[in-house]
Amino acid sequence: MPLDEYDKIAHLLRRAGFTAHPDELDAAAARGLRATVEDLLNFERFPDVPPDPEILAALDLPQSDFDRMRSDFLNKLTRWWLHVMVTTPRPLQEKMVLFWHGLFATSVGGLEFWQQIYLQNENFRGNFDPDTGQLLRPAPRNPFPVGNFRRMLEYLSKDPAMLYWLDNQFNVKKNSEVGSNENYARELHELFSMGVEDVVAKVPNYTERDIRQASRALTGWRVLPRAVGFTFPRVFSFDSARHDFGPYEHLGKRGGTNADFIFDNIVQHRNPGQKQSAVGRFLGYRLFKFFGYDDPEPEIINALADVFDGANGEAPFNIRNMLRTIFTPGNLVSEAFYSERAFRAHVKSPTEYVVSLVRLLTFDRATGRPDGLSSSQNVMRLVQNGMVQMGQQLFAPPDVSGWREGLAWISTTSILARFNFANDILALQVAQGGIDLTRLLAQAGLQEALSQGRYSEVVDFFARLLWQAVPSAEAREALIGYLQAPIPNGNNVASLKIRGLIHLMLAAPDFQLS
Amino acid sequence: MSKTTRREFIKRSGMTVLSVGLSQQAFWHHVRAASESVLTQAAALSPVDRLLVVIQMDGGNDGLNTVIPLSGLAASLYRQYRPTLAIPEANILPVGTDAAGTLVGFHPNMGALKELYDRGHVAVIQSVGYPNPNRSHFASQDIWHTADPEGRKRTGWLGDYLDVAFPSPDNPLLAVSLAGVRLPLTLRAERVLVPAIGNVVNYQFRTQPPGDHQNKMQAFLALNREAASEHVLREQIQRIALDTYESVERLQSGIQRYKPDPAIVYNQQNPLARALQQVAQILAANLGTRILYVSIGGFDTHQSQATPHATLLARLSEAVTTFFADLVRLGLDDRVLLMTWSEFGRKVVENGNQGTDHGTVGPQFLIGTRVKGGIMGEHPSLRAEDLNPGLGDPKFSARAIDFRSTYATILEKWFLVDSREILGGAFELLDVLQV
Repeated sequence: MPLDEYDKIAHLLRRAGFTAHPDELDAAAARGLRATVEDLLNFERFPDVPPDPEILAALDLPQSDFDRMRSDFLNKLTRWWLHVMVTTPRPLQEKMVLFWHGLFATSVGGLEFWQQIYLQNENFRGNFDPDTGQLLRPAPRNPFPVGNFRRMLEYLSKDPAMLYWLDNQFNVKKNSEVGSNENYARELHELFSMGVEDVVAKVPNYTERDIRQASRALTGWRVLPRAVGFTFPRVFSFDSARHDFGPYEHLGKRGGTNADFIFDNIVQHRNPGQKQSAVGRFLGYRLFKFFGYDDPEPEIINALADVFDGANGEAPFNIRNMLRTIFTPGNLVSEAFYSERAFRAHVKSPTEYVVSLVRLLTFDRATGRPDGLSSSQNVMRLVQNGMVQMGQQLFAPPDVSGWREGLAWISTTSILARFNFANDILALQVAQGGIDLTRLLAQAGLQEALSQGRYSEVVDFFARLLWQAVPSAEAREALIGYLQAPIPNGNNVASLKIRGLIHLMLAAPDFQLS
Repeated sequence: MSKTTRREFIKRSGMTVLSVGLSQQAFWHHVRAASESVLTQAAALSPVDRLLVVIQMDGGNDGLNTVIPLSGLAASLYRQYRPTLAIPEANILPVGTDAAGTLVGFHPNMGALKELYDRGHVAVIQSVGYPNPNRSHFASQDIWHTADPEGRKRTGWLGDYLDVAFPSPDNPLLAVSLAGVRLPLTLRAERVLVPAIGNVVNYQFRTQPPGDHQNKMQAFLALNREAASEHVLREQIQRIALDTYESVERLQSGIQRYKPDPAIVYNQQNPLARALQQVAQILAANLGTRILYVSIGGFDTHQSQATPHATLLARLSEAVTTFFADLVRLGLDDRVLLMTWSEFGRKVVENGNQGTDHGTVGPQFLIGTRVKGGIMGEHPSLRAEDLNPGLGDPKFSARAIDFRSTYATILEKWFLVDSREILGGAFELLDVLQV
């Protein structure tokens, strides 16, 4: 059975955003699917969430003071970004920042200056200028998060955290074969742009020599150790004395004096006999996997690659155009996106799990916005530990290839971690930063149903809110049974049972999927 | 276990008496393998009784300061290359002579382990590595985890073993990792789910208020048993959720059976000792767990390494010997084999910061009563021509031992399975076990 318009909008807002409250769904349904897609895509129409003053202040601390509080800084940063995801009027922007964080996976584990990871996060949001080290909202020429991918490669390669993480800051001119450190050149090809093999044709995209030659072009890229006004290295600098001016032989071409040659070659690279570019296919595959479903068909990948290549006359290398193709109804790719195969068939990442949970439970119907994630110490600790246990510590991916997604998110350990996280956050009092269930119940008008024992109504309400579905008869029965079961020797207050009900629904399989 | 039996299990929510064991199929698989093996014909040890404990030494252990040359050219070159880091000869604990006649000894902080060695329960496998060594932590660890030097495999060697030996796994605790919340790649399998448990005490479903626990778990199980969906993914999540429940119940009721012995004290300041105590708890519970995995970090000693490295070796030695004593007390020493590994050794030549950089081969320890104690193989040659030019670490030479030989030995002689498919080829077996 094809999805109806309402289902499509709910699906869209779960995937391109972080799930919507029923009130938001109603509002979006009134605007229609296409208008909702355009609002998501043209997120500049809406204000961005401001930076956190405490995080900005930490950037100005002397290094030794910063290092003493750096794990605290990481907790704050994690809390802030999750809060942004919960509250932002630009959900697709944040979804894409998360996408780039997963694709260009950089971990504080490999960084000397942890502050750099925040700059990278703002870089992926389009708010950082590596040439000056400045944070600007937005930085005028920064192509992230949905602009020109060719230029993103430049901004990625100049990113201070990246220059430290993959050692390219140490890469200096060596000989006509290779630069002194090929680590970054390798990942630039293998993980960040095209992959070892053409995603569709399954032929090698490049040779070892291409990597070595590319490493030559990336020599002399550094981060100024001490730039005026900054307490840690954050300004990109090009050191011509350490740079190898070529010419290079790369992906079948010879020439160039700097990395522009490499970036141009990468985005235009096509394997023999292939209509689509290798990068277009790679990004088409990764984007559809992220938003749609695992193992997209070659036709879908190729259609997205055509958009990347500008094959239909649009500007090439543009990420926003690819996203528009995925979400706007009326083409082969979006048909797959809105298909039954895709519907409720995405395993939420821990980030999506936490953000959707907080979004739905802190939504204030009076303001039409979620309150967000509290910055109380209790919540911050709980979230940081929870994310680690669930397997996605933001800013600390397991390695440069990022997190394993899909069903890999679910293990005995993470099932337990999700269950326990939901329990713990629901057990917090409002004064500790906990969720205001009194308001939620009052705004839902559920208190009467609860006091009169009309549990079926209560269960259905929360199923609509959290699962965005009508519960099955079995699930309803199990949950009503739970509400009716007294707590042995306990204090049988309704509020405890309501917390328990929500906890169970957050731990249920339905809430693990989006 | 079929779905019905799993659900049978879960229905018995009281669960005080457990009978845990291998599925029939897996059992017969082992019996067959055992009967085909010449080695086990007279062995008292039944195939299902064999347990493995893996200790990962994370960061690249400096093997040269762990098992130290005491005679011949190696000893003098060692002192020459390690002006600040060489252990004074008088402090080294001599253990034996290797195949090439070099006397070697343990680091002074490994006295407890030396006692075990003297009782014949420790095999030192020298110069373990692989051709074309990779000096990146990630890459080299992945190679050891997967037994695939090409780095293409996404499952681990012991995960593959579990898939082969337990085609229809009925026990969610066949293997347990106590090395943090991330499952080590070694134990990642296609089918068998291995729980990664930070700490057995925390491996529980927390419910608020605690009095409501039973009610909640009952509803949780019902939500995961509900067969309404046609989505495969949803069913898979349900299956994992039920497995989680089962593993938690078994583990929590099982570990109550472990009673500490006041004479055997696990040093709570030693993280490896704490982890191995949990291993002992799980083994004592007799939950059918075959493989346990623990890890000790901090071996990436690039600067001022003498003190931290010595501390780590003391911890290793102390934790292992305490654990061994506990196994003896529990009557399990005969059934348990311990294996240590580290992703690489370190450079022979110390760096300018009183530390050492990433290198190549290093020693591995096998420990247990079923081990044939002694020194296996040769200490790496430190002669200039035997070092990688410009890199200062031993070449992977003909006298080195491929780590897959250790794996093959464990798979073939301990677990009694064909190692070739798991390891992608046949590797020489080492004469280090008496089974």
